[in-house]
Amino acid sequence: MRLFFELCKRSIQRQLTYRAAIVAGLLTNFFFGILRAAILTALYGPRTEVAGISIQGAVTYTGLSQAIIGFLSLFSWYQIINSVYTGDVASDLLKPMNYFSLWMAQDLGRAVVDLFLRGFTLMLAYALLMNISTPTGWQWAALVISLFLAWLVSFSWRFLVNLVSFWSPNAIGIGRLFFLLSWFMSGFLMPLRFFPEWVSHICYLTPFPYTVNTVIEVYLGVVKGPALIQALLGQILWAGILILAGQIALKAGVRRLVILGG
Amino acid sequence: MGSVLDIYCRLIGVQIRSQLQYRMSFLFDTIATGLATGVSFLTLALLLQRFGSIAGWTLSEIAFLYGIVEVAFGFMDMLFSGFDPDSFGKQIRLGRFDQLLLRPVDITVQVLGSEFLLRRLGRIAQGVAVLGYAIATLNIHWTLPKILFLPLIFTSLVCFFGGLFMIGATITFWTIQPIEVVNIFTYGGSEMMSYPMHIYQDWMRRFFTYIIPAIFLNYYPALYLLGKPDPFHFPSFAPFLSPVVGFGMLGLASLFWQFGIRHYKSTGS
Repeated sequence: MRLFFELCKRSIQRQLTYRAAIVAGLLTNFFFGILRAAILTALYGPRTEVAGISIQGAVTYTGLSQAIIGFLSLFSWYQIINSVYTGDVASDLLKPMNYFSLWMAQDLGRAVVDLFLRGFTLMLAYALLMNISTPTGWQWAALVISLFLAWLVSFSWRFLVNLVSFWSPNAIGIGRLFFLLSWFMSGFLMPLRFFPEWVSHICYLTPFPYTVNTVIEVYLGVVKGPALIQALLGQILWAGILILAGQIALKAGVRRLVILGG
Repeated sequence: MGSVLDIYCRLIGVQIRSQLQYRMSFLFDTIATGLATGVSFLTLALLLQRFGSIAGWTLSEIAFLYGIVEVAFGFMDMLFSGFDPDSFGKQIRLGRFDQLLLRPVDITVQVLGSEFLLRRLGRIAQGVAVLGYAIATLNIHWTLPKILFLPLIFTSLVCFFGGLFMIGATITFWTIQPIEVVNIFTYGGSEMMSYPMHIYQDWMRRFFTYIIPAIFLNYYPALYLLGKPDPFHFPSFAPFLSPVVGFGMLGLASLFWQFGIRHYKSTGS
């Protein structure tokens, strides 16, 4: 466990050195946020509420969904695939630590930095410039739990998809398709509530909604009471399934992996 | 001139042949590239089932705006791959640009020929499909001037975005790192132009009218082709400013690029 936190700390330090990249990322996310706020505002028109989400909630959504791009590595994360391509995977597997935990510790460090420097800052800018809603009282606690679980689900599926590289040289192509699927199914492109019911039902058969969409719904308070508990339990369940699947795949993959070296 | 074109064709030919070596990988990448942008249109289509229209524009009308931008951006992304700030920044960092400077061929032609991402065909195909849907469902009153104007709209957009890529690439002469802020104008700009400009707040629209006149590249030509009234009451020649803006941007970018080359200092790596 000490090793885990040490790795996590190192990862935080590494991430903090790329300050210019963080500022640039922040500006880009903010621009896309206000662009999408304009689109949603135009879609709402005179309506004040659609599918349980108020116009204020919709604007908040555009900020929040951009704020967690870095935190959840929504666009891409091919670090394990790249380590297989370069051959670094060999030394990683020799380290006296579970391979899954090794990457998890590093990803946690990166995620923490992105959450505070990119996520929190962006929401602060949004709060100053736009009319957004904020959680109240106990909602904050639910949000923190939900954010942590969202990261856990997100990391576990990203780990699993990256493991494809232990079998296939085409892993990046397959990874791209999964990320693509996740943009749509996680509610990153638009809240799943706005879709026809059968579409969101299909999405909810996958782990993706338990990353972005659940965080959004908890933040906006559209899930309350039993629905909130159900949403958090869904996150825990998917995190459990994916972590287990990751361990099983890792065991099988290590036997298949051919170290090419570079 | 003939020999320059010949060299360019050879450079591109090598690129295309090497990309087609891994057929499965190429096919996969092309489909993924097409789907990546297609999925955002699908999202919009699903949303409009619930919302009906966006500020008075139907799905077909948005598809028209969206399709034109996608096809143009896809072509630009393929032709100007060499200037893509992300990959160009890498060339600078690794000192590979120095190698190009040593060769006795025009540097711009070499950079244009240094990369040609054929997988962008996926994005173009997706744009063509959306545009096809728009034209099939809209009742556009086609006249000869409109038909002749259409290729000019595409060319202007290609020049505009290509110019932005060149500017982004030139900036890396000084910054070494590609600056992500350029993405706001390229990817952000293309997304913004996919929607009717009157949905944006005044300050945003004014910025894209007077500072970076992107409004004349897609929105005004679309108003003209679809026969829709202009909510901002610009003079009636506004739609035809698109070549001025497009070629103007590429011209300015070329000047900046030439300036950058004269002041280029190698990273020494």
